[in-house]
Amino acid sequence: MSTKPKKVMLIDDNEVDLKINSKIITLSNLFEDIIICHSGEEGLLYLKNHVDQQELLPDFILLDIQMPEMDGFEFLEFYKRLSNDITDKCLVAILSSTLDFGDIQRAEANPQVIRLLKKPLMPAELKEILDKYI
Amino acid sequence: MNATTIRVLYIDDEENNLHAFKASFRRQYEIYTALSAVEGLKILENVPVQVIIADQKMPNTTGVEFFKSIKNTFPDPTRILLTGYTDIEALADAINHGDIYRYITKPWNDLELHNSIKNAYDAYKSKIDLRNKVAELEKTNDELNRFIYSISHELRAPLVSTMGIVNLVKMENLYHSSGEYWPLIESCSNKLDYYIQKTLQYYKNNKIVSENTSIDFNMLIVDLIELYAYSDRDLQFNVNVRQDLPFFGDAFRIEVILGNLISNAIKYQKENENDKHVNIDIEVNSTQVGISINDNGMGILNEHLEKIFQQFFKSKINHGSGLGLFIVKEALNKISGKISVSSNPTDGTTFKITIPNVNQA
Repeated sequence: MSTKPKKVMLIDDNEVDLKINSKIITLSNLFEDIIICHSGEEGLLYLKNHVDQQELLPDFILLDIQMPEMDGFEFLEFYKRLSNDITDKCLVAILSSTLDFGDIQRAEANPQVIRLLKKPLMPAELKEILDKYI
Repeated sequence: MNATTIRVLYIDDEENNLHAFKASFRRQYEIYTALSAVEGLKILENVPVQVIIADQKMPNTTGVEFFKSIKNTFPDPTRILLTGYTDIEALADAINHGDIYRYITKPWNDLELHNSIKNAYDAYKSKIDLRNKVAELEKTNDELNRFIYSISHELRAPLVSTMGIVNLVKMENLYHSSGEYWPLIESCSNKLDYYIQKTLQYYKNNKIVSENTSIDFNMLIVDLIELYAYSDRDLQFNVNVRQDLPFFGDAFRIEVILGNLISNAIKYQKENENDKHVNIDIEVNSTQVGISINDNGMGILNEHLEKIFQQFFKSKINHGSGLGLFIVKEALNKISGKISVSSNPTDGTTFKITIPNVNQA
């Protein structure tokens, strides 16, 4: 149990998807705690505010692409400039319903992103990534 | 007379010619005259002229030189050159560099010149109309692109949420709690999603410009099998890729082609077959890749073989969308690929494809 990653951060502007995905994560018992953020800005703010509290920082981020104001790619631009204390222990995967070839290519090319997951979130797929990377 | 009067600019250093021209045509056209290129340019800068007539033999600037000088600044008006003598060199120059529409010898014949001006104006109008049409098409195209982008996001996002809810229902063991309703919602959602995906594929295949990149077939096939066979673990894949050389091709379309064929091979298996298998053989050489995808699935009736690549062709037994193989064929057409199929209900189906290796040496 001690190897189980503790915290996952969900960043998504879609309330329904936040609800569905946090429920799926809770039911599949893959994380101990879920941090819910309704925008990229909210996510960044949380990370910055808790830079000195390692125990509150996420081990994993599931990031949506299509969001108003700051989209997933913009979030990643800010994210990579954050302190190493935050980014070193945290992995980012994109979770999106996109079928846009450009979006998919950009996500795959981004060095911060370990994987592009397609909605709906499949617990088995998520588990496979966690087993591989964490 | 036309509702719109044609605006004509006539440049000639001989004032008599200008007068004669005005006398002949002032009832038909809105006429502007200039005694030199410099004067002509001034008029051009202030009046949207549609037809320009210039005399070749003028001091300082010849007609051809004048036309050359306004080639970029005033490209739209149609040009007519007037010459009193046949100077082959000036003519060649005019045609090659001055963008001249007509050449007329002096002294002019009124009827001939009149017809030339009319035709010149028509040429001007078609040029402008064409440009407006192009702008209009670009706008429509732009809107269509945005529409397609919104299909892939806005329209699909709520559907994907629904699919997520169905997954949750399964995880909470409620899937069979309301009779058939949840399975029905699931199958409708999946069908709608499939149509959205195929529509996008079809559209993108028509739109996207071919971009050739290096393709590793081993990796591609592994990815595609993982993508499509996720839910079907009792199906055996035998993959044999012989690629010792780099292959360059259109990654998007090749993925679409192989993706559709592999997903078909998975979808149309015999239900009570114990040894379900799909054999994929790929051989790359310097000129092309040969791909064979063979399954022992339900096969295709002989009388249907001719029609399977047609849009919306569906057989009565198998509930496909009638889009998958159509898209395969369309995508192959775009990259000069070929496909053949052999099939029968006993042994299953074999698709054979060849796609040229676009070496970028």
